[in-house]
Amino acid sequence: MSDTNTKTAQQASSGTESEMLILVKDLYKIYELGHTEVRALDGVSLTIQKNEYVSIMGPSGSGKSTLMNLIGCLDTPSKGEYFLDGINVAHMSDDELAAVRNRKIGFVFQTFNLLPKSTSLRNVELPLIYNGGIPADARRSLAEEALSRVGLESRMLHKPNELSGGQRQRVAVARALVNNPAIILADEPTGNLDSKTGEEIMHLFDELHEAGNTIILVTHEEHIAHHANRTIRLLDGKIHTDVRNGDRLEG
Amino acid sequence: MKQRRYFFKENLKIALAELWANKMRSLLTATGIVIGIIAVTLMSTLIAGVDGLFEKSMAFLGKDVVYIEKWPWGGGEEWWTIRNRPEIDMDLADKIADWSDYALSVAKERGRGADLSYKEMKSEGIFVNGVTANYLDVSTVEVEYGRWFTEPEDRTYSQVILLGYEVAKALFPNEDPLGKEVHMGGQRYLVIGILAQMGKFMGLQNMDTRVVIPFNTFEKNFHSRWGMRRIAVKVPADHVDEAIEDLRGTMRILRQLKPNEPDNFAVNQQQAFEQQYAMIKYSIGGVGLVITALSLLVGGIGIANIMFVSVKERTREIGVRKALGAKKRHIKGQFLIEAVVITGVAGIVGLLIAAGLSWLIDEYIFPASMSFFVAFMAIFLSVFVGVLAGWTPARQAANLDPIESLRYE
Repeated sequence: MSDTNTKTAQQASSGTESEMLILVKDLYKIYELGHTEVRALDGVSLTIQKNEYVSIMGPSGSGKSTLMNLIGCLDTPSKGEYFLDGINVAHMSDDELAAVRNRKIGFVFQTFNLLPKSTSLRNVELPLIYNGGIPADARRSLAEEALSRVGLESRMLHKPNELSGGQRQRVAVARALVNNPAIILADEPTGNLDSKTGEEIMHLFDELHEAGNTIILVTHEEHIAHHANRTIRLLDGKIHTDVRNGDRLEG
Repeated sequence: MKQRRYFFKENLKIALAELWANKMRSLLTATGIVIGIIAVTLMSTLIAGVDGLFEKSMAFLGKDVVYIEKWPWGGGEEWWTIRNRPEIDMDLADKIADWSDYALSVAKERGRGADLSYKEMKSEGIFVNGVTANYLDVSTVEVEYGRWFTEPEDRTYSQVILLGYEVAKALFPNEDPLGKEVHMGGQRYLVIGILAQMGKFMGLQNMDTRVVIPFNTFEKNFHSRWGMRRIAVKVPADHVDEAIEDLRGTMRILRQLKPNEPDNFAVNQQQAFEQQYAMIKYSIGGVGLVITALSLLVGGIGIANIMFVSVKERTREIGVRKALGAKKRHIKGQFLIEAVVITGVAGIVGLLIAAGLSWLIDEYIFPASMSFFVAFMAIFLSVFVGVLAGWTPARQAANLDPIESLRYE
């Protein structure tokens, strides 16, 4: 089963040598609301290669949040298969998904979602804690390294309320990076920032992409989506368009 | 195992940081447990104190000694029926010694209050014991210094006296009492011995503020029929129950009771005390422990309540932790440890306060000393309350849906 799927995916990505990271096949998410059936995702298939920079767009109700939750392993589909880095995660238990999230996915949220009482360093350490068994000093140096990568060497011991919005989002990006995940999944990462700071954050994502990271952006803003080199548009739970961006904006 | 220790350490850090961040709330919540633990430990300590006291007092009586008296120790019968019983005729002692196969030794004992003096030194409200020379067989009394009186001395109404430990100290602070003459009830007595220190019977009756004189001397010098009078019978230690029955039968014959008449005397033995005591102990102790345990329960409910609030408040944090890879047991552990840290610390504080209080009580009021077992139980109990109180909130937190929690405002 897994073999045939992999083959299909390789055929789909014909022409490129790159490694396939995400394979989604006939994914459905169906909610029963009384007698009516709501198809939040209605048969979505897609593949994403390593080091791709993909944006997912769509109006509200199009299913982009649902797709993001499924790709982020926060939810399980009603039907369909999802291979992340070669592992079938579609039918995993909550705890198994938690382990996959921890090792494979780096989340960046619109509202940052930092722990308010913890320092930047401690916030960035968090995914390493749940990785298990990494000694405290190793955790600390990994977190310091991640914070340096986002340019916050001087803010390591500050708490979120002592940081600007842009700095908070940088801490969140550092936290997403620290476990060296397969994909970075950013949900409206500039939604709570002014446009100038937003551009700075997008520039950071561009840099991470150039450094070899795979990035998936969920956004409803065209100019943010244009940072990516591929845009997937959803409508009514289905993929509407899936295009490569020729005219990628540079920060 | 290593993983568990790792997460335990991390969760402990989180718990301590969280409790420190909410100092006032933690303090207030912990107070309930502190009070509960103080109540439970003090109660157990006091019960143990009374117990120890009782054990020690029972040693005064001796397991193999049966007392024939007017008043039963255990109570139970109507006061006025007992009051109207004839006094114990001390001459019965000799007949009992002759008739009963179980009587190894039969001593007579009388007693009353009196004042003692030596030169200008006075000792008032002293208990005077008039006993036969074989009293040593039936009592734990020991002569510390000097000698006991002899049977001929008793027969010849000798004016000799043995002083209790504290009486000797009070009357002869700087002198050797032996060979001195003390005054009591208009009579002079020669001091021939000092009794060994005994302590208090049931924590109340001081056994060291008494004096002992020969039985016949007592009868000659104190004419009143009042005061304590009893016959103490030493019986074989392995046949106490049969001995009690035998003595009862003997007494009924001596008192010429008809078969349908009730006993008009009491055959007392340590067991009666023990039964009576056990009943009091288990009723008061049981009720006391239940009430104090209730206070601990109330404290536990307080903890559970605050943990529910904490889970609600930190829904978003839980969502973040889950998104970043926390498994159910990590979240559950985090909140359980938080609850246990509160109750554990509160338990230790409560225990320390209770230890201080029981030291004060021991010093000034009543013998009480906290045992290692009670201390261990207090810590165990507080941890147990923490687990119990934290369980449901922690499980609720662990089962939160990460998507919902991340959206929670």
